[in-house]
Amino acid sequence: MKEIRRSVAPDDLPDVATRLVREQGLSLAALFAIDERSANGRYLLRYVFTDRAAGSLLTLELPVAHDPGTFPSIAATVHAAALYEREIQDLFGLSPVAHPDARRLVHHGNWPDGEFPLRRDFPLGRKPPRAALEQPFRRVEGEGVFEIAVGPVHAGIIEPGHFRFSVAGEPVVNLEARLYYVHRGIEKLCEGETPERVLFFSERISGDETFANSLAYCEAAERIAGIEVPARARYGRVLFAELERLTSHLGDLAGICLDTAYGFGAFQFRMMRGWAYLMADELCGMRFLRSVDRIGGLRRDFAAGKADSLHGQIARIRAELGDTSALIHANNLFIDRVETTGVLSAEAAADLNVTGPGGRASGVRYDVRRDFPYAAYGELGVRVSEHNNGDVNCRMNVKIDECLASLDLMDQALDAMPDGPVLAAVGPLPPHRGAFGLVESPRGENLHWLETDADGNVARYKVRTPSFCAWPALCLAVQGNVVPDFPLINKSFNLSYAGNDL
Amino acid sequence: MSMVGKILLYGRLTFRYPKEPMDATNFSASPRIDPAACNGCGECVVRCPSRAISLQPGTGIGIDYDQCVFCALCADVCPTGAARMTPHFELARRDRAALRHSPLVVREDLVPAEPVETTGRLLEKEIRRRFGRSLAVREVDSGSCNGCDYEINALNNPFNDLERFGVHFVASPRHADMLLVTGTATRNMERALIRTYNAAPDPKLVVAVGACACSGGIFRGSYATRDGIDRLVPVDVYVPGCPPRPQAVLHGILLAIGRMGEVDP
Repeated sequence: MKEIRRSVAPDDLPDVATRLVREQGLSLAALFAIDERSANGRYLLRYVFTDRAAGSLLTLELPVAHDPGTFPSIAATVHAAALYEREIQDLFGLSPVAHPDARRLVHHGNWPDGEFPLRRDFPLGRKPPRAALEQPFRRVEGEGVFEIAVGPVHAGIIEPGHFRFSVAGEPVVNLEARLYYVHRGIEKLCEGETPERVLFFSERISGDETFANSLAYCEAAERIAGIEVPARARYGRVLFAELERLTSHLGDLAGICLDTAYGFGAFQFRMMRGWAYLMADELCGMRFLRSVDRIGGLRRDFAAGKADSLHGQIARIRAELGDTSALIHANNLFIDRVETTGVLSAEAAADLNVTGPGGRASGVRYDVRRDFPYAAYGELGVRVSEHNNGDVNCRMNVKIDECLASLDLMDQALDAMPDGPVLAAVGPLPPHRGAFGLVESPRGENLHWLETDADGNVARYKVRTPSFCAWPALCLAVQGNVVPDFPLINKSFNLSYAGNDL
Repeated sequence: MSMVGKILLYGRLTFRYPKEPMDATNFSASPRIDPAACNGCGECVVRCPSRAISLQPGTGIGIDYDQCVFCALCADVCPTGAARMTPHFELARRDRAALRHSPLVVREDLVPAEPVETTGRLLEKEIRRRFGRSLAVREVDSGSCNGCDYEINALNNPFNDLERFGVHFVASPRHADMLLVTGTATRNMERALIRTYNAAPDPKLVVAVGACACSGGIFRGSYATRDGIDRLVPVDVYVPGCPPRPQAVLHGILLAIGRMGEVDP
């Protein structure tokens, strides 16, 4: 992964950022702040752009003074920046000037004004008194327009979030998602902690992306340490990452079937997901692939002596998936529900940096595994699914394609895995270094930034999961659909609340 | 193969647990420290990511299972092999103190956002008599990583098939006899959790699922979390785990309605 870092002046920023995105075709992949006041009296904002064609990252660094604590908003032209700027406003107390919608994002009405948890002088355990501030939703007005409020506690067994639908009759005119109900303060919890402890936080960002998050974290830490991960561990990581993707996608496919009341399809996929969990148990005894990654490689040689058994289980799932896919595609009642439902336009997907299956279903030709290869993906090669219609059907088909591709990759990784050690020795991390970890989680491009302090502990750990970018896209995809299709559209994206809220 | 063919081919997939024990050979389920083999070096105490291990005067080394995140680091760093991972997963207890090695200290500043209504709680025996055969469960995620929620979801899959016990999930707390709560009760969820509790009719049971709900887990002590849900709502059963396996959650549910007992390792 090539990386370029440049500093930028506040006056130039909007222009430069807009040209990078509109003319050079780069994507804003992250925007975050760090409080460096104790060292040099200011904050630093990092604007991270991915150049997918060149496989490189470009970071613009913008220093921001504590007083007046403002920075120019680029959200009017670089739409993907809108949420990041609101996040920085809530957590650091820096204001984006001329932001088109500068409402609160992370904090709810119970959080008083003037408290900014990611400033270094805010103590971790401080619990400000509860406030009761108004938090308006965007109002849609007109004859026959009603609001439907859903959540935070939902009808199904899922995570909490509040959805405010504005409907005119059946069709949804506007949907606003209020999230951050599961905001646990992970980035603050990691401040000043040892790199070893932060690994366990990274595994608990979002349960079903445990391995993807720990891998992104380890990649960043290994880049800072400047060490080479042993080849066997790199292949092992492919095996685990694909197993996680398979498990996650099978769950989503079950959910899509369930939300169309197609019980048979749902139970087929649940059965296959159960089989995938059996592989996880056999490999490491932990269904969520926790405590598998370590900085420097893998905790153990988990795959040793299990290749034959795993090949057999992979073949069983592959055969069943082929059969089930044929059966559900032959069911025209089912296909009727998923086709043309919840369309996300290619333009919106590109604009909001929607990646992963949600993006690939809408014509985004991007996969971190292929375009920024890590672990052993460079050697193995990745088949990237190509779909264009952006509806539930396409997202479902992308996930089926990717399950099959994951099964193939697991086979290949098992075969190509050389013998040897799985864990490189890593000493304390060098001080004052920063690095990115960029991986493809089951939901898409997963970007982590790790920076060390004077002692080699964690000064800043910024996590940007794919769900953060995709939530606004889900709200767009729902527009014009009937309310009863919302669960189906939601399931076809299956975004993580915990991964967004941190 | 047709749909009917598939149904005939697979027949019964459901585990026989709890009638027969689970095959736990592969499970890396819970750590155990053998005090006799421990040399008191304190390495695991310092490095435990959720600060769940302590050396206590008199009782020596031990684990607070309500706080443990089951990461196996203690087993990895132990120089004498005293700490090791075991396949024992049935950890649910009615009393949080029974899960702990160190005394429980409650922070006084963790006052709930609004009080719960606890009038009309029936005698435990009566609850079991009424819920023993048919139990309606409402799941509430009060701030988890979604791991526990996926494991609860897995109770509905063909391998666990929760409905065979007469236990089913309902869409509204108004229909619920039991709340299955995951997560630490974040600042933004605590009011919703209390309202959900108050919305469920009496008598009702609460099962705290996972390290976060039991104690705050690894997220304890942040500005946005609290040390478990039991200062907000009364908890009947604690199910440790990060996340607990579906069968561990099942054990917790059945323990709450008296259809299973506590299991000693």
